[in-house]
Amino acid sequence: MLTRKDLIRYALAAIVLAPLERALGGAESYFRQADSGAAESNLDGASFDGEIVLGVSAAFSGPSRGLGTELYRGASAFFSRVNESGGINGRRIALKMYDDGYQPDPCVENTMKLMLEDQVFLLFGYVGTPTVTRVLPLLKKFQDENIFMFFPFTGAQPQRQPPYGDFAFNLRASYAQETAGLVNNFVRIGKERIAVFYQADAYGRSGWAGVRAALRPHGLRIAGEATYSRGAPFTGTMRRQVEILKASAPDAVICIGAYAACAAFARDAVDLGLEVPIANLSFVGSENMLKLLVEGREDGEAYTRLLVNSQVVPSYEDLSLPAVREYRELMAHYDPQVPPKLVKEEYAPFPNSFGSLEGFLNAKLLAEIIRRLEGQVDRARLEEAVFSVRDFDLGVGERVSFGPDRRQGLQTVYYTVVEDGRFVPLEDWQAKFG
Amino acid sequence: MKIQKLFQRTRFGIFAVFGGIVLSTSALCLYTVDTQLSAEYEINSKNIAKTVADSSVDILLNRDLATLQSLVDQFVEIQGIRYIYITSETGEYLAHTFVPGIPDEILQSDHRSTEPIDRELPGLGNFVEVGSPILAGVAGTVHVGMDLDVVSLKITRAIGQQVYLVSIILVIGVLASIWLVNLAAKPLGELLAYAVELARDEDEESVSERAVLARDDEVGHLARLFLYVARNGPRPETLKAVQQG
Repeated sequence: MLTRKDLIRYALAAIVLAPLERALGGAESYFRQADSGAAESNLDGASFDGEIVLGVSAAFSGPSRGLGTELYRGASAFFSRVNESGGINGRRIALKMYDDGYQPDPCVENTMKLMLEDQVFLLFGYVGTPTVTRVLPLLKKFQDENIFMFFPFTGAQPQRQPPYGDFAFNLRASYAQETAGLVNNFVRIGKERIAVFYQADAYGRSGWAGVRAALRPHGLRIAGEATYSRGAPFTGTMRRQVEILKASAPDAVICIGAYAACAAFARDAVDLGLEVPIANLSFVGSENMLKLLVEGREDGEAYTRLLVNSQVVPSYEDLSLPAVREYRELMAHYDPQVPPKLVKEEYAPFPNSFGSLEGFLNAKLLAEIIRRLEGQVDRARLEEAVFSVRDFDLGVGERVSFGPDRRQGLQTVYYTVVEDGRFVPLEDWQAKFG
Repeated sequence: MKIQKLFQRTRFGIFAVFGGIVLSTSALCLYTVDTQLSAEYEINSKNIAKTVADSSVDILLNRDLATLQSLVDQFVEIQGIRYIYITSETGEYLAHTFVPGIPDEILQSDHRSTEPIDRELPGLGNFVEVGSPILAGVAGTVHVGMDLDVVSLKITRAIGQQVYLVSIILVIGVLASIWLVNLAAKPLGELLAYAVELARDEDEESVSERAVLARDDEVGHLARLFLYVARNGPRPETLKAVQQG
């Protein structure tokens, strides 16, 4: 029975901002700048004094642990080089890290710790839409403290538009751009019946909304849709979802999910005869998905030949790009590993991956922004430093610019398919899927 | 000698009365709990749907469906709420919590309806669904499904507890009544045995010393009367003498 108590609890949960604001009311005094001389402990018990501490909450456990791990590895490789070179303006970069398992509630708790207890300089390297979406109201609450979130691993809209767009900076292209690119390419080659398989949460809805919006100019609607619960493992079945989508007779399916569930869907789709292109967004974790589909299988190619994954960073095989060369060199040199205290389940990282390259680029741009603070590590100057980034050459071919109306650095979406057991750029949609 | 037959009806009557109390109390409890809980769930569902609808206005107008989904996901964590879906004014499903998909029963229903509906969704269970319009319906409708199986479980639990308590009282009551009846029947048994001895014309000295003759109650009076009649024969003054002690 729902009691009055339950209703009160519900009402509190209903308005996300209000309860947080009440709960955190008067917390402003807890905040100090990281250069205020406060001694803070990192995971190894070392002093943060004199360091610039970045707060991280990401998935290091659970079925999506590969996403947080790869993103961290790339960022860590770059920061290791920065610190080895004497830091930025004499200040080393430190990461205060927590595991949220890609679950919203732990992520909110971690963020509270990072902001109130650990007093980090900024938030960095968050993973996922359902997590980030729940954290954004906190940033609005503490807007006077200038706590910003930098380069979350999500292309969702909430951190790109009002009311929270002013509290986050994005590097990667949005899901709206990824899904629009996929839809436009599919429609161009005559595949107009597009179905969506998506995670039943904010991430899935964000991608679903992107597909819906991209189809509208073509006078089309989503042909069919099926969902799965966040955290679904590869060992689970997606046959029911395949049957639902198969009934809508799609020409292509766009998946908005994480690698374990999307790999399970691709497997079951092939097994049940749904022989249509299956697209995945960058968040999926392409290498992990590929590994699940082909590892230990002689017929692995059958499950991957119709995959097309959009990416928001160029291929890590493209050695013509300076950033890729630097990334590969530093990854090989440092081979960063997630701190043991955060490792709850075994995970074998990839030497190179789209996720770690994105983490690397995130770190590289953030280091440039911090460098532009010119030693005055002050949150109040962060936004100005970000907006000073104009036509910055990150080394990926596309120049990066920020401004009050431009809080996303990169706009390019890349498309990849599986060939010879790895993701390679897709050159010709018609030849591949036409 | 035991007096069984004399109290058989009494025992049956006691058992019947207690049984009746148990059944009628349980039935009343079932009706009350079912009615009140169901009504409360329905009211709560309406309140929740209205709150979601009120919270959704700005989000919908900002066209931020990810945040809308996040809001819905938080509400569905409330105990008893099994699903939520939000439809646009044109009937498009803008956010929902169904896995692996929206059931056909819901797809075929009137998306503008806000009246409580009892739904049976195959594979999911039984629900009471209520709706609440967003911006008087021009921005869409929120639908909340409360799990009737949860309501049933709570009703069953409440009734189970009631019946358990009353059953314990029934058992104790029956046992106590049997003990009390046996307590009342014991002197009658002694009197009967004494009357049988007198009828058999046993040793006079022996029958004059029975404990039952010393009782200061109706059984004692009867025993002494039987003895007097056995010795002197039935006469009118005999009864008067016995009654006077």
